[in-house]
Amino acid sequence: MKRDHNHLQPNPDPSSLRGAPSTGKAKVWDEESAQQDCGMDELLAVLGYKVKTSDMAEVAQKLEQLEEVMCNVQDDGISHLASETVHYNPSDLSTWLESMLSELNPPSTFDPFGAAGTAAAALDDSFLVPAESSTLTTLDFDNINRKHQKSGQQIFEEASCSDYDLKAIPGKAIYSQKTQPQTHDSSSSSTPTNVKSEKRFKSTSGPPSPSDIFPPPPPPAAASYGIPTASTRPVVLVDSQENGIRLVHALMACAEAVQQNNLNLAEALVKQIGFLAISQAGAMRKVATYFAEALARRIYRFYPQNPLDHSFSDVLHMHFYETCPYLKFAHFTANQAILEAFEGKKRVHVIDFSMNQGMQWPALMQALALRVGGPPAFRLTGFGPPSHDNSDHLQEVGCKLAQFAKKIHVEFEYRGFVANSLADLDASMLDLRPSEVEAVAVNSVFELHKLLARPGAIDKVFSVVKQMKPELVTIVEQEANHNGPVFLDRFTESLHFYSTLFDSLEGSVSSQDKVMSEVYLGKQICNVVACEGVDRIERHESLTQWRNRLSTAGFSPVHLGSNAFKQASMLLALFAGGDGYGVEENNGCLMLGWHNRPLITTSAWKLTNKTTAISQ
Amino acid sequence: MGRSKEVNLNECKMVVPLNTWVLISNFKLAYNLLRRPDGTFNRHLAEFLDRKVPANANLVDGVFSFDVLIDRGTSLLSRIYRPATAEEPQPNIAELEKPVTAEVVPVIIFFHGGSFAHSSANSAIYDTLCRRLVRLCKAVVVSVNYRRAPENRYPCAYDDGWTALKWVNSRPWLQSQKDSKVHIYLAGDSSGGNIAHHVALRAIESGIDVLGNILLNPMFGGQERTESEKRLDGKYFVTLRDRDWYWRAYLPEGEDRDHPACNPFGPNGRSLEGIKFPKSLVVVAGLDLIQDWQLAYVEGLKKAGQEVKLLYMEQATIGFYLLPSSNHFHTVTDEISKFVSSDSIKTIGERIMQCIGPLLCVDYVCLFKCFLG
Repeated sequence: MKRDHNHLQPNPDPSSLRGAPSTGKAKVWDEESAQQDCGMDELLAVLGYKVKTSDMAEVAQKLEQLEEVMCNVQDDGISHLASETVHYNPSDLSTWLESMLSELNPPSTFDPFGAAGTAAAALDDSFLVPAESSTLTTLDFDNINRKHQKSGQQIFEEASCSDYDLKAIPGKAIYSQKTQPQTHDSSSSSTPTNVKSEKRFKSTSGPPSPSDIFPPPPPPAAASYGIPTASTRPVVLVDSQENGIRLVHALMACAEAVQQNNLNLAEALVKQIGFLAISQAGAMRKVATYFAEALARRIYRFYPQNPLDHSFSDVLHMHFYETCPYLKFAHFTANQAILEAFEGKKRVHVIDFSMNQGMQWPALMQALALRVGGPPAFRLTGFGPPSHDNSDHLQEVGCKLAQFAKKIHVEFEYRGFVANSLADLDASMLDLRPSEVEAVAVNSVFELHKLLARPGAIDKVFSVVKQMKPELVTIVEQEANHNGPVFLDRFTESLHFYSTLFDSLEGSVSSQDKVMSEVYLGKQICNVVACEGVDRIERHESLTQWRNRLSTAGFSPVHLGSNAFKQASMLLALFAGGDGYGVEENNGCLMLGWHNRPLITTSAWKLTNKTTAISQ
Repeated sequence: MGRSKEVNLNECKMVVPLNTWVLISNFKLAYNLLRRPDGTFNRHLAEFLDRKVPANANLVDGVFSFDVLIDRGTSLLSRIYRPATAEEPQPNIAELEKPVTAEVVPVIIFFHGGSFAHSSANSAIYDTLCRRLVRLCKAVVVSVNYRRAPENRYPCAYDDGWTALKWVNSRPWLQSQKDSKVHIYLAGDSSGGNIAHHVALRAIESGIDVLGNILLNPMFGGQERTESEKRLDGKYFVTLRDRDWYWRAYLPEGEDRDHPACNPFGPNGRSLEGIKFPKSLVVVAGLDLIQDWQLAYVEGLKKAGQEVKLLYMEQATIGFYLLPSSNHFHTVTDEISKFVSSDSIKTIGERIMQCIGPLLCVDYVCLFKCFLG
């Protein structure tokens, strides 16, 4: 791979921060102006509800109808609507009301869960099963649960959630998906394991049926209505100590000196920060130390080595996974969406841009194994960077997953690809099968932002993804803008972001895990602050920015619902020091935050227009 | 059932603008889903449905905000809203707690509504309301994210309010330049109004000065069924049944609605005679079924010789202050503005008189004497 040394700025994104914070002229908040944002009622938009002025009367009517129906069904029906039904995107009032009306009419005798009976009720408040293979890390739920019971944590729900036994996510969506006709029989129940070079080829029996099952494309960019488009800077102050404030001041002053290229001053300040940091305790000291180190590297041009030694970064990654819920939340919510998208599909293929140790997949495979009607054939294609020691770690991961698949009787196929960058990928490498035969989901956890370091890379990857014709694309990214054109802004944003993140680690029990997680995050801090050009890969962007990129590239949102929300919330409660964590729903996406400051976001996408996906 | 319900819905729609009706009806129906007959609450669905907004350290229409963790033990957060000023036109993200510069800066501690069970400081409806308060009163607003029922019953909400009050009172950066004191007002709607009252009581007992209470449709009640409750039950978004549910969720188990938290001037209440209770502005909506209790509260204050102003908005329903699309809204905001600024004006006026008044008198006398020779 040729290295590009011209340190180009990333592609300008109209929605990214432009240097100094906005002067507050955001029209979205202005109640007095007659401006109509696509005909939305402004007053309601500010309060989080998207209702077109022209639809107001109709929405009112639906409310009346719903009230009428709710009165008639009494407690049983209401309880069904509250606990069984999956709700989506409450901001879109009209659609939400419509979905509830259709839940309650047809008559309550029709119960799609009826046959499942108690099984459905049991599945409702359930979790994913942890990996059973001993080679993969498992969550020690028993211990965590015991700790929580001791601290007298309230459990909001009733008996149904007292079992922290993990079962499959039911994934029964309120909008039932049309199932595709079967063109061939499912294969033998043996689970051949295939890695890398071997391919398993299925021949279809007969011509594929016409692909006219695809739902009509929804209106594009619907997600941007009513959401404040002015840049938002969420801040939570967790530490108001005098020393802490002085430390922040010193860091900012140093960053400003760097910004102005006043390196003598910057050098003096960075030394001062070192002294100030020692007097601090807890998260703030560590964060300050990492930022100071990064500033020093920038000042002295002693840039960090890139890329990391792979096995070390794996270890860090795993400790981070254990210590705090961020990765688990990411995997969990993405898997929920994938499970729903794969409903009714007999053959499924997950393309994972963020393979690492494959920790996301056992849970999904287990859920698929427990699916009503039996598991699909599961194919996994994983991408990862090359390892220094020439070991084929992707192969090893594949083997472990294959063993696991065998245990749970899921037909499994695997292929690993080593690549320096996702932009090196071409759809032709993947041996894609027709979408009527095999449903595809593309998954990316904390990988896409790295592509922003090279011009054109993200667009190339989006176009390749489109060629894969996925049912679903799940994306998890940090909820922050660390990719603005002005260094000082990036510094400020990341200082607040990582301070919050480090604070959330403080409560974790194992100090070993904590230290590793801090080192893991420290490397990101170093990259954001000390690196530039193609080396600066931690180019995090906010949900608003990703929404713009994705809708421009031809993707439409797929909403995550109340079932994923609830289970993610319950998952969080299991973490020590968990009180500060919270899940928020944002126009179909789920955000995990610490003390109300959103930190990571899971979103799901589909092609806006499937039929034109073939053209590049 | 059918016909009278129709009448209710139609009447209801005629007294509020359509978008307000849609907003409040949506809450009503969503809340119906969340309250379970056995007294438990569907918290996950509640959090999923609640529209929230993050804090924003960037200025939006002259206001910026940030969250502060006030008490780690209870995860007590508050959202602070500050106005841009001439001295501080742009907030500095490293100095969000920079000292206020004006002579007098009102600090309004705000308790959001939700009948003790719903909403949060970061709910969009309350974030918007607090921002309005900042602009209206040129105040700093501290919105308290108190613990909610039924998971946390009485007195958790009051405890959190009290913790927040102590915190506010002890912030050097919130002290007005004039007297190096924090000029505190307590405000709240629905359950928030109830909390404001009880936190004010604690303040007095502990010697913290509260300059005024602003209660918007405060949530009070009692065992007795009052005339307004019977007359308005189910007519304007609210039913007695849901009111009862919320009291059962908040009050200690086994207690009835004559508990002083619910009925401060009732059989178990106490007289506030002789106590230096802050002046109060109480807003009552004429179509709120609990108005008799709110009016009784006002009477209770008056009887105890406390300063209280009642704003009775005849054709207003609950939640009218959430959207600025009615006359009620503007009347109330005017009154709130006067209520909070009257201290400042008195102060400035006093100071002018203090400095110049005696001088003026002396000059005239001198002149007169000179004139007379």
